[in-house]
Amino acid sequence: MELVETDLGATLSTLLGLAWLIPLASFAAILFFGPKMGPHGRNSAWVATGAIGTSLALSLFAFGTWMVNHPPAVAHHGDHGDVHGEDHGEEHGKEHDDSHANNHSAEATNRVAARLVRFAEEQAAEGGHGDREHGDHEHDGHEHSDEGHGDEGHGDEGQHADSVEHGDTGHGEKIAYSGDWYALYRSPSLVLSIGWYIDSLTVLLFVVVTFIATCIHVYATGYMHDELHDVTDHEVTLAAGGHLHRPGRFPRFFQALSLFCFSMLGIVIAGNLAMVFIFWELVGICSWFLIGFYFERKSASTAANKAFIVNRVGDFGMLIGLMALWGALGTLHFGDTVSVDAEGHQVVEPGLFSLVRPAENGHALQVPDGMVVAAAASRVGNIASVVSPEDARAVIAEQVSGWRAMGMGNWLLVVAGLGIFCGCMGKSAQVPLHVWLPDAMEGPTPVSALVHSATMVAAGVYLTGRFYPVLTPDVLVVIAYIGAITLFIAATIALVCTDIKRVLAYSTVSQLGYMMLALGVGGWVAGLFHLVTHAFFKSLLFMCSGSVIHACHTNDMRRMGGLLKKMPYTGWTMLVGCLAIIGAGVPFVIGFSGYYSKDSILAQALLFRQINPSHAILWYAAAGGAALTAFYMFRLWFMTFIGEPRDQEVAAHVHESPSVMTTPLVVLSVMAVAAGWSLGSLGVVNLLEQARPLGTAAGMTGGGLLTAAVTVPAEAASHAEAIHVTATWTAFATAGLGVLLAAAFYVWRVVNPAVIATTLRPVYVFLENKWYFDEIYNWIFVKPAHGIAMLASANDRGIIDSILHLAAWLSRQLAAIDAWIDRFLVDGLINTLANVTWTMGLRLRHVQTGRLRQYVMFIVVGTVAIFLLASMMLSATVAIP
Amino acid sequence: MNPASFLTPVLHDTLQVSLPLFRTELALAVTVVLVLLVRMLPGLRRLDSGVVALGGILFAAWYAWSDLRGLPGSPWMPDAVGPERVELFTGLLVFDPLTAFLRFLLTGFLVLFAVFTRITGIPDREDSADFNVLVLGATLGMCLMASANHLLAVFMAVEMASVPSYALAGLLKGRRTSSEAALKYAVYGAGAAGVMLYGISLLAGSLGTFHLPTAAARLAEMGIVGFPEGAALVLALGGLMVGVGLAFKLSAVPFHFWAPDVFEGASAEVGGFLSVASKAAAVALLVRVALGLSSPVALEADMVPAASVVLHHADEAAAETAEAGSSVTQASASQRRVAAQFASLKQDGDGQEGDASNSEKPATEAAATEIVAGATSAAVMSVDEQRIGLALPRYFIVALIAFMAAVTCTLGNLGAYGQTNIKRLLAYSTIAHAGYLMMGVAAAVALAGSNPSMAVSAVAAVAFYLATYVFMNVSAFLIVAVLRNRLRSEEIASYAGLVKTSPGLVVLMGVVLVSLIGLPPLAGFVGKFLIFASLVEASSLPAEGSILSALLIVGGVNTVLSLFYYLRVLKVMTFDPPPSDRPQQSVGLVSLSGAAITAFVVPIVIFGVFWSGLYTLAHLAGGIVS
Repeated sequence: MELVETDLGATLSTLLGLAWLIPLASFAAILFFGPKMGPHGRNSAWVATGAIGTSLALSLFAFGTWMVNHPPAVAHHGDHGDVHGEDHGEEHGKEHDDSHANNHSAEATNRVAARLVRFAEEQAAEGGHGDREHGDHEHDGHEHSDEGHGDEGHGDEGQHADSVEHGDTGHGEKIAYSGDWYALYRSPSLVLSIGWYIDSLTVLLFVVVTFIATCIHVYATGYMHDELHDVTDHEVTLAAGGHLHRPGRFPRFFQALSLFCFSMLGIVIAGNLAMVFIFWELVGICSWFLIGFYFERKSASTAANKAFIVNRVGDFGMLIGLMALWGALGTLHFGDTVSVDAEGHQVVEPGLFSLVRPAENGHALQVPDGMVVAAAASRVGNIASVVSPEDARAVIAEQVSGWRAMGMGNWLLVVAGLGIFCGCMGKSAQVPLHVWLPDAMEGPTPVSALVHSATMVAAGVYLTGRFYPVLTPDVLVVIAYIGAITLFIAATIALVCTDIKRVLAYSTVSQLGYMMLALGVGGWVAGLFHLVTHAFFKSLLFMCSGSVIHACHTNDMRRMGGLLKKMPYTGWTMLVGCLAIIGAGVPFVIGFSGYYSKDSILAQALLFRQINPSHAILWYAAAGGAALTAFYMFRLWFMTFIGEPRDQEVAAHVHESPSVMTTPLVVLSVMAVAAGWSLGSLGVVNLLEQARPLGTAAGMTGGGLLTAAVTVPAEAASHAEAIHVTATWTAFATAGLGVLLAAAFYVWRVVNPAVIATTLRPVYVFLENKWYFDEIYNWIFVKPAHGIAMLASANDRGIIDSILHLAAWLSRQLAAIDAWIDRFLVDGLINTLANVTWTMGLRLRHVQTGRLRQYVMFIVVGTVAIFLLASMMLSATVAIP
Repeated sequence: MNPASFLTPVLHDTLQVSLPLFRTELALAVTVVLVLLVRMLPGLRRLDSGVVALGGILFAAWYAWSDLRGLPGSPWMPDAVGPERVELFTGLLVFDPLTAFLRFLLTGFLVLFAVFTRITGIPDREDSADFNVLVLGATLGMCLMASANHLLAVFMAVEMASVPSYALAGLLKGRRTSSEAALKYAVYGAGAAGVMLYGISLLAGSLGTFHLPTAAARLAEMGIVGFPEGAALVLALGGLMVGVGLAFKLSAVPFHFWAPDVFEGASAEVGGFLSVASKAAAVALLVRVALGLSSPVALEADMVPAASVVLHHADEAAAETAEAGSSVTQASASQRRVAAQFASLKQDGDGQEGDASNSEKPATEAAATEIVAGATSAAVMSVDEQRIGLALPRYFIVALIAFMAAVTCTLGNLGAYGQTNIKRLLAYSTIAHAGYLMMGVAAAVALAGSNPSMAVSAVAAVAFYLATYVFMNVSAFLIVAVLRNRLRSEEIASYAGLVKTSPGLVVLMGVVLVSLIGLPPLAGFVGKFLIFASLVEASSLPAEGSILSALLIVGGVNTVLSLFYYLRVLKVMTFDPPPSDRPQQSVGLVSLSGAAITAFVVPIVIFGVFWSGLYTLAHLAGGIVS
């Protein structure tokens, strides 16, 4: 299946585009025909499952196509300890993004210059001597000349080679395809389009998302069967007493699930930030639908609203980031856009990545020209006021590198990075925006498994990873710290939770913290690797917990225990999940999927600590977090499955779930074990290494704005033996420690957890109250908001309403007078007229008697009558001339 | 005069000139014969006569279309050099743009009508041959009406169109109302025909000719010289009586009594045929006669066909014997007055007109002398001169048509108010629409006297109105027929709540009714707008202006009046609760009848928005005014 490059791009975009759109079709089908699909909409499950299954097949096909055409190089993660960092992926000679490297720069400079001049002229116009129209004209003309210019730079491949050497490492090329399907809006300064950006990360995530989604669709078919008939919701007590009784909502669930799959895949395939934002909001609304599935329950509807509102806080930051990028760079596309102009030349419109990491700079991060100029606005104004527009362009272009050296525009790049990350914080539940995720567990468990652990919450990590090339060391350090704090806080809260799903929810938050930490300390592959492995084992864990809840009808672990015998499939698969999440394995030999990903995160954190000793806390958080993870996960497992049943009533009717639910568990547990393994070149790590953004293999030094100077080390360096061995042993030791502690507490009962809780009462209460985040937010945000709302409402009701009522009363009085006039004068007139015509019409019927004799007589009468009339008229007119 | 010299021009005229331009009618006639043969010959009896008829109609329509597009100035063939005005069969008929347009309209309507009847299933297979023969024969007569150029042709055409219509009205043989309708129609028609024939004899007697252009020339001559004692009264009576015949065909008040009864008694199919085809032909004939008698045609001496000259001689011989000696002195007196008026004309005229009249000076003088000799002289009167001479007849005709238009329109609309039967309501609606059409004719006649280009627009307005009226009424009657087949009722009350079961059909009916009211953006609005625009234009004329402005007001008020009863049907269909005993059958648009209705209604919407193409055609038809 060897394909030419461009064909491959088209093939992949078609395959993945179809895989993306099929769930939308399923959504539409269920939306319109759901209730008609079998009794109670039973068949909607098959429609949705069939759709996502087809998507999975298409994704796998795309994956296969990718593997055949671009087999990834064997990376080092498979065999620990060896350092051969710099050589991966070099055989890929052709690079879609980079073959026009110089073209980019020329194009970029010209574009920037054009923007500059326009900006300068606007400034001049404000001063009263400038002509906007003229400016536009200049701008247009200039863009035209750009195209020719761009073409000239086309063939300079030689320089490109030089520039690669300039880089810190001779890193290989990155394979990515990008393009647009459809432009929603097109203007010279902004293109909003639905497009794709496909590299191995996209393909990989498509497979992961559709795979897990398929498993969960199948699982949900069994889990949601209650909704197939009328439901009595025991958690909703009506005011009249008794419980809520409502019809089942089976189709609605699958409808929302399909929409979610569409939205999630939309984020993954998105070719630009605007599209990401659209689908970002779409997954948000899907999450809102699904958390609030049992919306009659107050807790569920509150949780849904909370999730939505907290996410909006993050999205606000994201919007700021989007505006900073668009305002300064004029594009939101990730990749370069290649088009052919009227004269047949190829025109390359650089995307974000090429602007921030231009090829001639060896893909090293630099503040793009647009941002430099935007920061140097006052100087640009000065230049524009002295020289003519044409010259100004040249002068400014000369000055840009100088200004950049002065650090101008750096803060703008930081703002952009932080803004986008802010959105990711909301979606990925990073402290301080993590509060919604545990509450989101009010939704049905399949939703928790798919949306709130495996896919949607990982979208934040995915976007941080996708956007990674644009992030400066300052931002990365912030990300690392947020991740570390998150992982630690969430892990501590998980220690004391008794609700089985909440433990998993906090564990999710904590693991997301790990991913962010990994990205922040420079472990791009490590972070995304953990995303993939986590998706498998966390969805597995959630589905296991769902199976338990399904059997016990309670979430409370204190009422469980000893379930392993009754629920063997669930118990053993959940153990696999627990082992995977704590990163269990035989050091340096083999392990569960989490073993590989967590090791690489720890290694990277350790490396970061060695290079930047002042940030050692990150390492401790990561290592400590590993121990906590092991403890709370096995606490969960032991409490649920081991020992004696604590609640006989619950234990009495526990039974294993139907096979439609256990089969996905088994399938996913296989993935939870094996997702980290590499078979030759086929492995997640190798694929991710292939997708690594250009220029990020090398380390970065920077900082100064938000933190002291910091060096983000190259990820390859973390494979050095010294680092790697330490990290592996640390991970092994901490995980073992955690498991042993948990066993001591809950299996061997050497220590009584209740005693510890009493001894460390303040800490326990602090943790049980989840660090008082909800209370603090309540006091800081919710209460004041309510207060302001009450004031506004009082103002509305007391002052504005009374004025309105007065006005309304006055209008009514006026209207009454008007109505009187209308009724008696106007209507009276009209009605009289109408009555007269009506009567006339009816009278006319009497003429039409139906008697033939009379009719014939009328001919004569009519003729004579008209003749008399005519002769009168004739005699009158004949007299006139 | 030997027979050969008499026959040669007649043969040439018939074979070389007339028949090629008569092929539409020939096709219809051949189809009639074929349909009859299909019925009579045992081998062919299995053939569906409807299909044979449809084939013939398509041929006829194609001929009509090719004649129409071959007209000079047609947008389809910019370099067309077809004939603009040719008199056929020694002046009995005339081929001109109006003829071409009406032929195409009528045959095109026949195509739609054939589809219509096949869908609604009336006539059944047994009656199909009779029905088709009658329809084709009537249409042949209507085509002749549209092209009549001679008072005898007028009478023959009217009868030819009417007699099959009487039979059509009685087509539902078993039904009493149907037979009653046919009887009423026939007797009423016979009465009207008698009056008309009397009128024709009066006109021909006093003008000495049946040939319309010649008659106009005579009138012009009289107008200039002065009407002989008592002649004006006789002429007025004659014109009026001819008008009665036309008014019968138009179902104009007060000669409309047959219409509601016939429409109610006959099937909806026949109603559709009568309301559209018969009306179109009648309007065309009205335009022909009214314009023919009130506006001049540039007749040159050699253009007057030999045979008609012969006929004139015969007429004149009769007239001369009737008038006897006293007319000689009158003639010499009138001759003097004509000469005097011509002289004053020449003085009044400005430079260019003066040139024209100077060049004609010898001819005029010759004419003046020829009048005394009793030879045909009108041919040499120039068009402008005739136009002046026709002022009085024109005024009379305008006033007559305007009066009848106003009365027809108002009474038609008012009469529709209390109707409970949809076909009766539509009958009154067609009466009212005849009134609107007559308004356009009145405007055209009035404008023809002073502003021929605006008169062209007025005729075009009438033609446009007719074309859109085809679609509106065919759709309305088709819907009525389809509903009759479903509901077994034609009472408006039985349509109650129809929107619940057949929403699409009700929407289409709504479009049709709103278009009949004449509201934008539907075709009915454009037609009405064009007619009212001509009235506005004509209301500034010095002589007829006041009549026509009054007519304009009447037309406007009537549009408001019509709103009520059309919308009442819609109200019943949408707001009233459906009767409980109605079968729950719906007429979906996804069915043969639904598709046909849609296909007929869509043009109403299209011509309401994109009407320039149709208007170009109509404007072409207006080219009969010179």
